[in-house]
Amino acid sequence: MLQAIELTKQYVPGQPPSLDALNLTVQPGEIYCLLGQNGAGKTTTINLFLGFLPPTSGQALINGLNVAEYPQETKKFLAYLPETVMLYPNLTGLENLDFFAQLAGFRHTPDELHSLLSRAGLQTEAHGKRVGTYSKGMRQKVGIAIALAKQAKALLLDEPTSGLDPKASNEFSEILTGLAQSGTAILMATHDIFRAREVGTRIGIMRAGHLVESLSASDLTANELEAIYLQTV
Amino acid sequence: MGGSLAINQNLNRSMIRLAFIQFIRSGRYAGAGIRIGLFFLLAIGVISLFVGKQFAQQQQQGITDVVQFQQTDFPRQAALHHDDMGLLLYYLKFSVINQTRPLTALAIGQRDVNPSVQSVTIRGLEGQKYDADLTNPANLLLGNVDFSFVLVYLFPLLIIAFTYSIISDEKENGTWSIVAVQSRHLLGFIGQLFLLRLAVVMAVMLLIVALAIPVLGIPLDGVLGLFLGTSVGYILFWFSVCFWVASLQRASSTNAILLLGIWLVLLIVLPAGVNNYITARYPVPEAQATTLAQRKGYHEKWDTDKTATLEKFYAHYPQFRQVPVVDMPTDWRWYYAMQQLGDDESAGQAGELRQKLEQRERASRSIAQFMPTLHTQLQLGELARSGLGNQLRFMDYTSQFHEKMRLYSYPKIFTNAPVLAEKWTDFKVDTFTDEAPIHPLSVLGTFVLFIALFAGLGWFRFRQTIYHL
Repeated sequence: MLQAIELTKQYVPGQPPSLDALNLTVQPGEIYCLLGQNGAGKTTTINLFLGFLPPTSGQALINGLNVAEYPQETKKFLAYLPETVMLYPNLTGLENLDFFAQLAGFRHTPDELHSLLSRAGLQTEAHGKRVGTYSKGMRQKVGIAIALAKQAKALLLDEPTSGLDPKASNEFSEILTGLAQSGTAILMATHDIFRAREVGTRIGIMRAGHLVESLSASDLTANELEAIYLQTV
Repeated sequence: MGGSLAINQNLNRSMIRLAFIQFIRSGRYAGAGIRIGLFFLLAIGVISLFVGKQFAQQQQQGITDVVQFQQTDFPRQAALHHDDMGLLLYYLKFSVINQTRPLTALAIGQRDVNPSVQSVTIRGLEGQKYDADLTNPANLLLGNVDFSFVLVYLFPLLIIAFTYSIISDEKENGTWSIVAVQSRHLLGFIGQLFLLRLAVVMAVMLLIVALAIPVLGIPLDGVLGLFLGTSVGYILFWFSVCFWVASLQRASSTNAILLLGIWLVLLIVLPAGVNNYITARYPVPEAQATTLAQRKGYHEKWDTDKTATLEKFYAHYPQFRQVPVVDMPTDWRWYYAMQQLGDDESAGQAGELRQKLEQRERASRSIAQFMPTLHTQLQLGELARSGLGNQLRFMDYTSQFHEKMRLYSYPKIFTNAPVLAEKWTDFKVDTFTDEAPIHPLSVLGTFVLFIALFAGLGWFRFRQTIYHL
């Protein structure tokens, strides 16, 4: 579903590339977690899949389509949750969800919208309040609901649980597992080794633009993964 | 019942409505800026209608006064000079009115500088042509805050305020990445954001014009249609410029500076430059020079041999050679011949002035074809019959009118026809109705061209950069 072929991004000519010849495949039903320090190339990878950056060379494919060539068509298969979800502060959480769902071509009844927000973990009394009054975690939950509403085949997550409390993080992990079971391909950049080991099917460790390890999560304990991570970076 | 309710709710909660709420509540001051801007524009639009109304009333008053004056003055003068037709016609002033249409109140143009009433005696014309009304110097300094001013200068500012940050603001606030991923048709979505704002601005403009129709009594005709078409075209032009600037994907502050720069160039710098160019390219001989030539042509005749003067006069009007000379208190035939020759001898200068003004008018129109702002101003003036073209045609008409009155008066003077045999109250004030044709294509063509250009450039640029952060 998601595939990177020799994907390279060099922001400044002459400097070492931020992403160097990345090869990566995420199948439907798989959750691929990218670990790595700040600046390792995780966000660059996700932005290349989103088409927000033109690649220097190589290809990012979504459902077999090259993102650089088909920026609009590939969006149909994608949902995205950034590290900090920003919404329209003068609309309510419900209105924001409705707006972004309609943008993707979905018209939900108010009941469906409420149920999506609740599923994402947003308390009912906040649904009708303006997003300007929300905390970061609450916005993050609306972001999750927006991603859920699109029913996309591939989900790109850039440190999605930052700002979520442990309980909300845990609920989020359950949502991700559920989505994977129903066939969604998920690529997630994260710093959370423990959670990566929990939800991930595969784990990639990045350093200075290279994918240096690609491991199967089920073969490891969290402690082993942490040891490998610390050795690698 | 439940089903229809659900559909209604769906319609009410449509995306465009949410985008509208977002727009109207948006901004750092919770949308106050947007609402204040709209209110301000509407208020000044309404004020402009009252400025126009006041202008129309002044015009009407002036015309009423002139008509009344002519009705009372002619019989009075006739009674006073009942035995001397030549002397009577020395004094009588025949008035021509340059018809003011209700639409003129929306675009006053040069009508506050140029007189709308010309009163001429049958004496030399050239000296009388430039006897203007008294005008209010303070008014001339400020210019009129009429509808055309509000449209041409102020509407673009509101359009810029509404659209300068349409995408950049979302990028700067972080919502753009989710919008870009969620949207099925991102360019279409941007188009909707622009259309939403366009609808709001159009509504303000149409509301002002809708108010103007009853307030000023504007007839619903093709001219009003073209006037509206020009206004719509002008607003669309500015939206297309803003669309193009948005497609450059710069920061909000850069967009704002760029758009205000464009406003300044298109509305202040270029028109001033064009004006300078035209003034330098077609220097107009002073109207005063023509007056001087006419005066000289006439006054010299006092010291010239009468026969020579009359011979020149007969060369111009052979038909009066046959009119037998009759005895009269003053030799009016010779006197009016002198007056006539003043005009004849300054005809060169007068023609040159007329021609230069015509060239200026033509040149500014051709240049304006490539400057939608200037084009709008000129076209609104043309449609409201308040521009230089109208003034030139009115001057031509005044000359024809003057000639008509001369040819009517000369035989009566030369035969010293009895004054009281003439019914002086039958001399009505004449009205010039400007019927110069206006071609819709020349009015709207420029807009179509420039809107297509900027919208096309914006579309092309967006196709390349729309997803780039």
